[in-house]
Amino acid sequence: MPSLIWFNEDSLNPEHQMVKDYADAPKVYVFDVPYLQTQNIAKHRIQFIYEALLEIPLIQIYKGETVAALWQLVEDLAISEVVTTETPNHMIKGWQDELKKSVDLVTYPEMFPVTDDSSPRRFSRYWRKHERSWLTV
Amino acid sequence: MQQLRTDLELADREAIATYLQSEFPFLEDSGELSPHVGGRKAGLARLQDFQLEKYGKQRNFLDGEVSQLSPYVSRGCLELEELRQWALKQSRSKSVETFVSELAWRAFFHLVYDEEGDRILQDLEKPKVPMNQHQRSLPDDIANGTTGIPSMDTLIKMLKESGYLHNHARMYLASYIVHFRKVCWRAGADWMYSLLIDGDLASNHLSWQWVASTFSTKPYIFNRENLQRYGGSVLPGDPKKDDPFNYSYEELAERLFEGAYTPEPSGRSSGQYQ
Repeated sequence: MPSLIWFNEDSLNPEHQMVKDYADAPKVYVFDVPYLQTQNIAKHRIQFIYEALLEIPLIQIYKGETVAALWQLVEDLAISEVVTTETPNHMIKGWQDELKKSVDLVTYPEMFPVTDDSSPRRFSRYWRKHERSWLTV
Repeated sequence: MQQLRTDLELADREAIATYLQSEFPFLEDSGELSPHVGGRKAGLARLQDFQLEKYGKQRNFLDGEVSQLSPYVSRGCLELEELRQWALKQSRSKSVETFVSELAWRAFFHLVYDEEGDRILQDLEKPKVPMNQHQRSLPDDIANGTTGIPSMDTLIKMLKESGYLHNHARMYLASYIVHFRKVCWRAGADWMYSLLIDGDLASNHLSWQWVASTFSTKPYIFNRENLQRYGGSVLPGDPKKDDPFNYSYEELAERLFEGAYTPEPSGRSSGQYQ
């Protein structure tokens, strides 16, 4: 099943598990120009991201609109699933939701020692509850 | 869409900067390279240099030992869980626990953002001090680092030139902008998010809300004594005349919040999250 690894700006790790699991898949990143302009993202962040991308073997870097660029790649390369990482970033989540309409999306979750669905609105409460888990190997 | 080059040498950062400027001509070019080099290798090198044993006692000082790993964690070059595992393999100390709890803060912010979505861009709670008259856009003198207060202008310059700020410095700036200058936290948060290499809506915007008191039980403020203690070796002195920070916490609360909030008698000295 042809797969495509799509890196987002919250997960630029050449040793990420998804890279190991999909070793033969093409790897892409898209600098989303509307996002960069709307959020007025500074050059230092763009350079940091670009430098991080250069460490990823065979990465293909694009600029344009993320969803349109990925759709085009999915079509050109006959991709059936896009592999990426979870992020709480609502803008990236929005792009992921768009993609899901036309292609299977495999997302690797962020790794935390505990998850908590109890809406702890204060860190002190969260820490009291989970301190032991965080401080245990 | 257009494909970008990937044949540039990572070591030639000037060439990369020039290339990116040509591909993204709308970027403001400060002419400075950030000292923070992107990538996992640079992140691992920084981790190796990090003196964790000093972190617990020094982390609130602007010249103290901090990891400066947030660009690498936020951009995912290093994973939070691998840092936690690394820390727990060091000799167990208060420093280790403090560092791990700071990692937990980041996870906590992500959990809140994951649940709230883009609602984190608005007040999550009712502010604990009056803020309805706050200015909705960032004044130019703040954006340009020309407030006339040398300490604040220095922090703004550091942020713009490097894309990074010490966490305590971020809190000073946020507090100055929201409480002393009466600017809506969102305007400041958006501005700082745009400039930070580690810009992360969860950590950034929720920290601003924490300072503002829309995601905490009280506003975060600092005074001259605090600024001198934790930033004195890094920041230039400010003029004594009309110094907005040179008051006790009780006096500041009265001046800034007109009695809507009374700090505890000891004030808050460390600038830590609580």
